[in-house]
Amino acid sequence: MTDQFSLLEERLRTINKVMTTKAAIAQTPKELVWTLNKAKLYRYIPVVPAQERHPVPLLLVFALMNRPYILDLRPGHSFVEFMVSRGYDVFLLDWGAPGPEDKNLKFDDYTMEYMPRAIRKLKAITSVEEFSMLGWCIGAILTTVYAALRPDDGLRNLMLLTAPLDFSNKQGLTFARWTDEKYFDVDKVLAAFGNMPGEMIDYGAKALKPVENYVVNFMKLWDNLDNPQVVESWHAMNTWVTDNIPLAGGAFRQLIVDLYRNDRLMKGELMIRGQRVDLSRLRANLLTVIAEGDHITPPCQSEAILDKVGSRDKELFRVAGGHIGIMAGSGAHKRTWPHIDAWLGSRSR
Amino acid sequence: MSEDPVGSSKPMDPFEQFRSMRDAYLDSMAKVMVDAVNTEGYAQATGAMLENTLTVSAPFREAMEKSMLQVLQQLSMPSRQDFSALADRFSNLEMRLDDMDAKLDRIEKQTHAAARTDSKEESATAPDPVLKARAPRRVGTKASAAKKRAAKQAQPNKRTARKAKR
Repeated sequence: MTDQFSLLEERLRTINKVMTTKAAIAQTPKELVWTLNKAKLYRYIPVVPAQERHPVPLLLVFALMNRPYILDLRPGHSFVEFMVSRGYDVFLLDWGAPGPEDKNLKFDDYTMEYMPRAIRKLKAITSVEEFSMLGWCIGAILTTVYAALRPDDGLRNLMLLTAPLDFSNKQGLTFARWTDEKYFDVDKVLAAFGNMPGEMIDYGAKALKPVENYVVNFMKLWDNLDNPQVVESWHAMNTWVTDNIPLAGGAFRQLIVDLYRNDRLMKGELMIRGQRVDLSRLRANLLTVIAEGDHITPPCQSEAILDKVGSRDKELFRVAGGHIGIMAGSGAHKRTWPHIDAWLGSRSR
Repeated sequence: MSEDPVGSSKPMDPFEQFRSMRDAYLDSMAKVMVDAVNTEGYAQATGAMLENTLTVSAPFREAMEKSMLQVLQQLSMPSRQDFSALADRFSNLEMRLDDMDAKLDRIEKQTHAAARTDSKEESATAPDPVLKARAPRRVGTKASAAKKRAAKQAQPNKRTARKAKR
């Protein structure tokens, strides 16, 4: 009986720890090389000698409304650590958390002000004119727009992970239904909050699968409280999931009005700083990674891009898993990462 | 003698059956809920809820903002708008600095490129050290000319010598 009580006490202590503290995340050594407003460009310290490294640097661009350290979650389970150990010169563009003063920031600013400046700095540091880019989720929209608007900027390889680019299939997109103009007044929301609050975005993402996110997730933890590896992994993921940041109001309006409601990118009608985004101008080598079980960006959103771009070298890679799981799940280092490394390595010489 | 079965069988877990029942129930609930949130009705209901919340809270929010602004003015303290304007100016300054950084980088690059071309040109105009070594040596070139110049300087100038005699 005493054993049972002490076991229960131990379990409750573990739950208390993982629910109330933050896990040690983003530990791969890096240096800050550029900043602009809240955005920061980091360069990861190479571990491979210069002569053995891939000459083309890699820039990682994550979504605007989540922290980018999901790419460097914890030692031994970090995509960044994996790529650095494979000889890539890895840079990470962290957008930071927009404040009330950034409510007017749009995709235009991110793709035409921030990204070109960060890329210029990357080129100046590495003394290389060509580079590769990996965009994930909204980061994939930004990198696609950038690649189409500046095809001669030295972008050699573009990798898109779970990229929400095609919004034509309204029936297949729950977000499109929720944000339909009949039910959702985007201007009223932004007039009230300025930026789209991180908590509302988090609720939207979790409400797509409410039982999994609000019940099963915690059941999994309870069932595995005796397994330190599972607890550690859960703790790190929970740290990331609960670290919400708002989305700049201007960018949120574009996401809803231009993309979810009017599918302007695929139709070739999206205007950025007065320029039409013509996807046929995108000529970089292209790898699109699709998560087959993705409920946030269903596969139908990432497939059509291959027919629209002007790239000669393009590939579609399907992985079993969810929106985040394909890159940060326990199987990522066996499936997704090695494929990205193999694809990029042969194109970075 | 039979083999020891330890390790091949799991200890009996009285909760295993309960756990599998629970998982089956959660699985079916998950499917039902995914279908439920994917309906027009759910979108309409959440939209209406959000709309009502925003409509009800708007007058309070506006009143709060106005009174807060007045209080801050009374206390001679900056408001949120002031901070936003300041942040905008900082961002513009940062962009100017970034532009200057880009220009400096460009100048540095051009200078390096120019220096490299100069050194290349110099090496192109300079005689090939191999050919120079092979070429026949001219006797009495620089060294003999210097000797002649020194001897001439050592000889007294005739005109000045004559003046001195007078």
